[in-house]
Amino acid sequence: MATIVSVDEFVTDEWYPGFKPAFEHAPYYVEPFRTFNKEDEKRFWFLDFHWPRGLTPLGLIWNEDGYNWGTQFAAENLPLPPGRGLVSRIAGIHTYASPIDVQSPYEIGERAQRMGPRLGEFLANFDEIWASRRDEVERGWQHFVAMDPANMSLPELSTMLKEARAYHKRAFEIHFEIMYPLLVNYLGFYGMCAEMGLDVSQIGKFLQGYDTKIMETDRELWKLTRAAKQAGLAEVFATTPASELASKLDAMGGAGSAWMTQFRDFLQVYGYRTEGSCDVALPSWNEDPTPALGTIQSFIAKEEEHDFEKALAAAIEERETAIDEARSKLTAEEQTAFDAGVASCQAANFPWWQDDHNYYIDLKVSLPMRWAARAIAEKTGADQPDDGLFLFWPELTAVADGEKSMDSLKSIVKARHDYFDYWHERRPSMPKVLGTIPEAVTDPVLIEIFGLNQHFLTAIQAAGSDSDVKTLTGVPASKGKARGRARVFNNADNLHTLEPGDILVCESTSPNWTPAFAKIAGCVCDGGGMLSHAAIVGREYGVPTVTAVGLGTVVIAEGDEVEVDGDTGTVTVIKKA
Amino acid sequence: MGDSTGRRIVWIDTVDPDDALARTGAKMGRLAEMARDGLSIPLAFAVTIDGFREHVAETGLDETIDRHLDGMDADDSTAVEVAAEAIRASFRETAISPALAEEIEEAYEELSDRCSDLNVPVAVRSSATGEDSSDASFAGIFDTYLGISGAQATLNAVRDCWASLFTTRAVDYRLKRGISHSDMPMAVGVVELVHARASGVAFSVHPVTGKSDRIVIEANWGWGEAVVQGLVTPDHVEVGKADGRILKHDVSRKDIVSAFDFAAGVVVEIPMPTRLRERACLDEEQISAIAAAVLEIESRYGYPVDVEWVVSRHRRPGEPVSIVQSRPVTTAVEQASPSAYDPMVLAQKYIFSAR
Repeated sequence: MATIVSVDEFVTDEWYPGFKPAFEHAPYYVEPFRTFNKEDEKRFWFLDFHWPRGLTPLGLIWNEDGYNWGTQFAAENLPLPPGRGLVSRIAGIHTYASPIDVQSPYEIGERAQRMGPRLGEFLANFDEIWASRRDEVERGWQHFVAMDPANMSLPELSTMLKEARAYHKRAFEIHFEIMYPLLVNYLGFYGMCAEMGLDVSQIGKFLQGYDTKIMETDRELWKLTRAAKQAGLAEVFATTPASELASKLDAMGGAGSAWMTQFRDFLQVYGYRTEGSCDVALPSWNEDPTPALGTIQSFIAKEEEHDFEKALAAAIEERETAIDEARSKLTAEEQTAFDAGVASCQAANFPWWQDDHNYYIDLKVSLPMRWAARAIAEKTGADQPDDGLFLFWPELTAVADGEKSMDSLKSIVKARHDYFDYWHERRPSMPKVLGTIPEAVTDPVLIEIFGLNQHFLTAIQAAGSDSDVKTLTGVPASKGKARGRARVFNNADNLHTLEPGDILVCESTSPNWTPAFAKIAGCVCDGGGMLSHAAIVGREYGVPTVTAVGLGTVVIAEGDEVEVDGDTGTVTVIKKA
Repeated sequence: MGDSTGRRIVWIDTVDPDDALARTGAKMGRLAEMARDGLSIPLAFAVTIDGFREHVAETGLDETIDRHLDGMDADDSTAVEVAAEAIRASFRETAISPALAEEIEEAYEELSDRCSDLNVPVAVRSSATGEDSSDASFAGIFDTYLGISGAQATLNAVRDCWASLFTTRAVDYRLKRGISHSDMPMAVGVVELVHARASGVAFSVHPVTGKSDRIVIEANWGWGEAVVQGLVTPDHVEVGKADGRILKHDVSRKDIVSAFDFAAGVVVEIPMPTRLRERACLDEEQISAIAAAVLEIESRYGYPVDVEWVVSRHRRPGEPVSIVQSRPVTTAVEQASPSAYDPMVLAQKYIFSAR
């Protein structure tokens, strides 16, 4: 008997106060994005970890352009034999996603026939393909970054907004066009290694030790940390709240403003980056440098510097050792296949790309739309620029095109702010899954990235049956043991308050959480598989990490003393706070 | 030296291997083939199928058998069991004719002489025709006696082997298949007992996964009975066929050893001495020697084999290991390991077929 988690509470036609979408509101490839209806209960939905804050009306565009266009477009065009991508719903402001399965064995077979030659071609030319897509995204980026929204007319802003949307949508076609075949190659290799009797927990190591744009950014942050210490600014950083650091340092003159010049140079290159994935409501570091300054602040507080050169060299050595050790267990015939598989997966490296692409896509491509929306709001007399983010696409374009006045929307926008705040507060208690929980999840994306493995399903079904849980188990994502104070985060807003030695407990991490790994002693995630962000970054930074524990953020309280065992995948609450 | 072309007794090292399967049954026939192929096998003679036939005919045992089995209802398991037990009792009670007994005794003395021993300990092994064929139903169900010493004990063991042709399971199987017992005569091998430092089995293909690119060796201290009977978790070794590299060497905790009980004159299963329990019973050189023998046997036969091997106490590095038995592998379907990387094939196999 399947467990069903009712969707009743979330069934509505209204996306936010005052908005019901018109028929064919947004383009979609296979299935549209919408709110829950009762029929949806027959399917399996999981709470998506990418937006722990929830999404504003304009932010919901990601559901349209990302899941309901990007994943479906890419899955249909590869095509991915067993799935047509993901479809999503909202409960309040929170996104739930579900895979669109291909059921017919005939169709799966035909899709596989079509995919075969494309996969080979893709893998053989991965470098060129990714370089050309990256160039395309960067070209678009240059187009928008050259604009000056503050000095543009409303019609110009309308054009910018529409171009920015097209750019956003295209970026996620590219995202999934690249992601699916990389993932397929990785999982095929994984299956082969498993059948050869190799220890699959070592597979991540075979592919580690390749530099990414995100790691490059972290290195630059450490350079700035060093510079601040050398300039005698440690005391200022220690005594000033992160949000006031910029003005304080600027006002200092001398060493303070010299350092700020250096910091601004850094932001010109690395600062077009949001504190979260794919969300138009999030500012970049350029707009609000608090997260970057907060990170530098905590790096300064850390006694020992994270030695990137050493960590990278160690990661490379560990990689080569792991490969040699695996090879020694294989017959000569198997070695031939294994070597080719390692070469293929290193050249078209899924875990590497999972980190690298965030710099170009996930943390960046929503910014032009954000700039245009805020400028339009300002230009049309909104109370605050962010009100532009509380309009839906048809409303915002109508305002930009002068068909509707901002004034006429003000009361709705206010109601939507309240609505957002209400649901934002509810995030920690949102059900992890909705609808019909399957006996097992077979979709590799769901298992490896979202961590919806058997254990996770069991853990969430057992929820509430015992409030006295002391031990959680999950995926042993990064080896090692650590004990420390639990810091439970439902979103990244206060991430910079993490202190060295803390154990990070969260739903899941995103690329903007990466700098935290240079500080924390261990990491526990409710979701996420071997290929989730936390798993990959945990391995790169040597931070013991356990993912897919199910209810870590519920069972573990702020300040609890916990032990993370990344070898066995267990998390133990040693002492309640 | 005995007459290798003798009707009732033949020597395994001199019998024509082309006749050996028909005259000495599957097990001893293969040993003769391996002797011809230059493998190191223990000295042995066999009481032939003709010897067996003569015995059952002259002593009236064949009539006894027919009397018990005539009109037997194959589905009446109680009746089958009673008849089988009665037949085995008759075998044990029926003396071997003086002429054949004398030949066996003489051959045994000669075997002792050739081994430079008195009352040399031997393995007395059933060797039925078709026993080890690709139909494995009979594998291992006929008796083997390890460590028999002395002519009289050998004669008794030969009779016991003959009798094991009529275990309930064997009788039941033949009845259900409509095979007459006279179509399945039994030779008996009398084989020098190699003084085993370590023994075990080896497969020229992985017995579980069917992968044919490796040799799998299972080993224990002492004689191989504890391994063959599954009484012990043996050391497990895998060797790549292409380059002879050791891929895996799992040393297990071995609680039981088959050892020779000199007082009783048999091989018995006793607790493993502590100092040997968790020690690897093979070194690299010995593993290579076993792998070389297995490869040689497989290439001679042209199909996957399993082999029982012994590392003698007297073996020196560089010398071959002793092979005491070989037969075609019947358990696993041969399956090639992947030797090329094809992402689409792998995706189909591991990802898209999961649902």
